[in-house]
Amino acid sequence: MEVGCDDGHVESAPDRGRPVVLPGVRTGKDAADEGELVRRVARGDRRAFDEFYRRTAPWLEVRLRRRCADPDVVAEVLQETYLAVWRAAGGFAGARTGSGGEARGSAVGWLWTIAAHRLVDAFRRRARTDQVPQVQLTPSTVPAAEDEVMAARIGQELEQALLVLPPEVRAALRATVLDGLSTREASVLLGVPENTVKSRVRRARVALREALS
Amino acid sequence: MTHPSLTQIVGYATGDPGLDEPAVWAIEVHLEGCADCRARLAGSTTVQSRAVVARVALELDREIAAAPAPVGRRWSWSWSVLHHRWFVGTLLPWLVMTVTVLGCAALLGALWVGMPSLVLLVAPLAPLPGVAVAWQRRADPAWELIATTPAAGLTMLLRRTAAVLAVVVPALALVGAGTGLSLALMLLPCLAFTAATLLLGTLVGVRRAAIGVIASWTLVVIAPSIAATRMPVLLSAEAERSWAVATVVLTAVAFLRVTGSRRLSHPD
Amino acid sequence: MRAVSTAETATTTHPWPIHAEGLQVRAGRHLAVDGLDLALSTGVHGLLGPNGAGKTTLIRALATVLAPAGGRLTLLGQVVDGRCELRPVRRALGYLPQHFGYYPRFTVREFVGYMAWLKEMPKADIPGAVQRAVDRVGLADRADARLKTLSGGMLRRAGIAQAIVNDPRLLLLDEPTVGLDPEQRLDFREMLRDLGTDSCVLVSTHLVEDVVAACTDVVLVNAGRLVWRGTPEVLAAQGDGGHAGDSPAERGYAALLRQHRAEANR
Repeated sequence: MEVGCDDGHVESAPDRGRPVVLPGVRTGKDAADEGELVRRVARGDRRAFDEFYRRTAPWLEVRLRRRCADPDVVAEVLQETYLAVWRAAGGFAGARTGSGGEARGSAVGWLWTIAAHRLVDAFRRRARTDQVPQVQLTPSTVPAAEDEVMAARIGQELEQALLVLPPEVRAALRATVLDGLSTREASVLLGVPENTVKSRVRRARVALREALS
Repeated sequence: MTHPSLTQIVGYATGDPGLDEPAVWAIEVHLEGCADCRARLAGSTTVQSRAVVARVALELDREIAAAPAPVGRRWSWSWSVLHHRWFVGTLLPWLVMTVTVLGCAALLGALWVGMPSLVLLVAPLAPLPGVAVAWQRRADPAWELIATTPAAGLTMLLRRTAAVLAVVVPALALVGAGTGLSLALMLLPCLAFTAATLLLGTLVGVRRAAIGVIASWTLVVIAPSIAATRMPVLLSAEAERSWAVATVVLTAVAFLRVTGSRRLSHPD
Repeated sequence: MRAVSTAETATTTHPWPIHAEGLQVRAGRHLAVDGLDLALSTGVHGLLGPNGAGKTTLIRALATVLAPAGGRLTLLGQVVDGRCELRPVRRALGYLPQHFGYYPRFTVREFVGYMAWLKEMPKADIPGAVQRAVDRVGLADRADARLKTLSGGMLRRAGIAQAIVNDPRLLLLDEPTVGLDPEQRLDFREMLRDLGTDSCVLVSTHLVEDVVAACTDVVLVNAGRLVWRGTPEVLAAQGDGGHAGDSPAERGYAALLRQHRAEANR
């Protein structure tokens, strides 16, 4: 994975709290990207692990929290995920050098894959005892003016198509496409039967195809 | 690539309902690939989020200090994967045996001048013991486990045959180079016999096929040659071309025949 | 972002992950499973029966080690006979044999990783999945120990780890609690219940209390046939003080077996 983004910031306003790290101004340990940090973790480098945690944990926490409203579950999943990173980093480092880069080959993508599976495990654990509070599905809203800037990876049409999908269909799409879960795992996460997840994804596919054609 | 605005990042971090789903998707996709925006996000999280991250950091410290640091880093992962996946322990004794036999044959050939080259005589049989045990219930302690995986049967047999050849072929080449024998006459029969064994294996099972081939070659070629102390016509320089043709044909037929064979995937 | 294939979103039409009709399986020359009818859905099913009832032979047939000798066996919607393509079923299968052989020089991580590779998991997912399986069976601190250095209970747990590494839809465990100490057995039951939320788990055991504690459903077999099926609670209600056993469930088990034998002899 590349270090940062070289194609210029639209945003230059300083962040509150932490200073923005701009490309080119990193020094020392900061110069290493996440993949390099994981490779150092694989060699048992505790400081690299701390640095990796410092850089990625806030992001992962937010992403998990958007999928599970219970902070205890989020904390549990976060802890399990990073322990797994500490213990299994060797495998990641090897898989990277061994077979070349794949789509999910980045260290951050790898981190998310681990976390997503562990999140499903946490839901399985709680499925028996009590329900995990799910994040409320947000109803579609009119895009704010600022969203015009956000034409990023998913294009305008796709964005429009996503907006017209019912919330439960979007949730199924998010769990499978964005979070990379299997339909079976998605069914645990969303608390609906697997066939329901499948039919929702099919509905989404049809709707998106229409919107994009 | 356009970066999300700080307002959007703050909205994402705080779970602002004003941010619609497509925007959230775009932000999430972007954040996975952009370290700078992750750093900006880290500066925008809520008090609760920071508390969770700090709490987990302490827990991690405790857990990591309590357990011994992960080992197994003596070898690189790729080496260990190659070693364990392809040269599974069960093959090792057989491969060691094969290489030892080849070494002895070379040594005898060097000491015992005037005899037909033993190395050349046994070379065609070299991979067969390994191939015979490649996918055998009795030879593999984990057979019962592996038999239920999608790689069971033919995939396993071919994979391990390849592993056997990967050891035997260089060993033969090395011995051949040392004794100054024709490399083609060493390697072609060896490949042809491997293919023939697999082919015969589709009818009677690989183990029986290997035993049959080894026995016939020993009786029909090796024994008479030693008795008569001269090289058989089969392994003379003129036969090279025939061996090449035989190897190509046998390998091609083997490839066509082995893929639907139940006899190979279900050994006795 | 991940591409979701059309095949993946095709509706699952088979009602039961395991469906056997008049199933016959040979163990050597003898028909160890003889005319068994069984339909199992998602959840944890306990397979009980006396020694020689055909439990292990049944599990080996369900694990696709043995081909059925007669009847019809459908696993995950795929009919299993001598000729069919078993790959898709085997990818979704987890199996712990009663006696499992292993490579003593492999570490736990290497062994579970090797099995994950043989189960054709995506290469990039293997290290994470191995760690997850090892964590779940509580072997995290011994992950890099060689198998030959492990105790019996630890080996059993390594065996469970290889069975669950691919998140199987169909998990077959033959005597999984042998060698586990009481605390580990409690953890194991807990894990079984988790697994049962979205997999079909069949656990063969001779320990009635394990079944009562962890299973949603009890399957009782004798002489290769299905004798009785019901919930652990109903099993416990079958026996009374007159039957042998230390717990209501054990007495219920004894009562059902005696009743079945009496009927068979008549």
